[in-house]
Amino acid sequence: MKPSKVLIVDDETEFASTLAERLRLRGYDAKAICNAGDIFTIAKNDPPDVILLDLKMPGMSAIEILMTIKGIAPKVKVILLTGHLNLEDKIEGIRINNFTYIMKPVDIKELTEKIDSVLEKNKKE
Amino acid sequence: MDSEKENKLRTAQLNFIGEVLSVFTHELNNHLAALKELTGLIEDILRSRKSLPQQELEVCYKTIESIENQIGETSWISKHLCSFGLCMSKPSSNFDVNEAIEELLVLLNRAASQKAISFEKDFHEKIPAAHGNPTGLQFLIFCLIEKGLKKLGKNGIIICKTSFSKSSVSASITLRGDFIITDDTETCADEIFLYLINQMEGDISRSAEDREVTLTFPLSPRASSKT
Repeated sequence: MKPSKVLIVDDETEFASTLAERLRLRGYDAKAICNAGDIFTIAKNDPPDVILLDLKMPGMSAIEILMTIKGIAPKVKVILLTGHLNLEDKIEGIRINNFTYIMKPVDIKELTEKIDSVLEKNKKE
Repeated sequence: MDSEKENKLRTAQLNFIGEVLSVFTHELNNHLAALKELTGLIEDILRSRKSLPQQELEVCYKTIESIENQIGETSWISKHLCSFGLCMSKPSSNFDVNEAIEELLVLLNRAASQKAISFEKDFHEKIPAAHGNPTGLQFLIFCLIEKGLKKLGKNGIIICKTSFSKSSVSASITLRGDFIITDDTETCADEIFLYLINQMEGDISRSAEDREVTLTFPLSPRASSKT
């Protein structure tokens, strides 16, 4: 069985690359990118199963990115990464529209459970 | 100044503190998140191997080095917040104008990069120490930068320049790039802004659309204790 492809999009290079390494150790085909602009090319040419997207990417809002991804690769699932507790209300609005999120610093167990959960949901759809 | 204006001033100042602190904690949190992943990776590797081959040992060394770098970054930002807090705790002190602006730029860097806007410094190296309330100056600069962050589009540049002549010091904020908002809705009301400049015995000069705003203050205002 092919490993699930996870794309981490976060401008914090150290965080993103280390998280990718940890997910690879857990059997995922994980890759990290730090530039929000690259996400659309990847989503079009080699779409991942799941995208872990930092809510606060420089120069582009998460909503803009989410909407564009939805247009390019509608089957790709997105999990939002956020460090801002007081944004939870706003995130709640996004979650209602089928997007899930995880708080930073990330609990790796919680993250893998969420990834597996959205992948499972994807299979059923 | 009547009590209503006094309240407005206090509220604006509190908002300013809140904004800076929230940006700071966001930044701190990002470093902590990276620290958690880095230490987690060490744990992952150590748990998965009973003895370590040289190559993985190298990964461990590199990861540990990265942890140290992250801690250094956190410490660097904390230092600026500490200095910023200390300025607030005293009504009046001797201070370095460049340092006061520099620490504000460090603390607002996240807010700027979020909008893909960058800061540029053009500080005169030999400005003598000023006497007064650095928080007042920081607050005025913050108001101008905040306006710049709202008005400028992506890839905009906010240039902070300092200079001095005889007994006064000047700080200029120049906005370079396209404006996405021309409506000049104030977050720091002009009235409060001008009141504070007056309190600091300063002057202000503005170009069209506030593309360049220069604040000039005496190095040692006669009534510095008022601020």
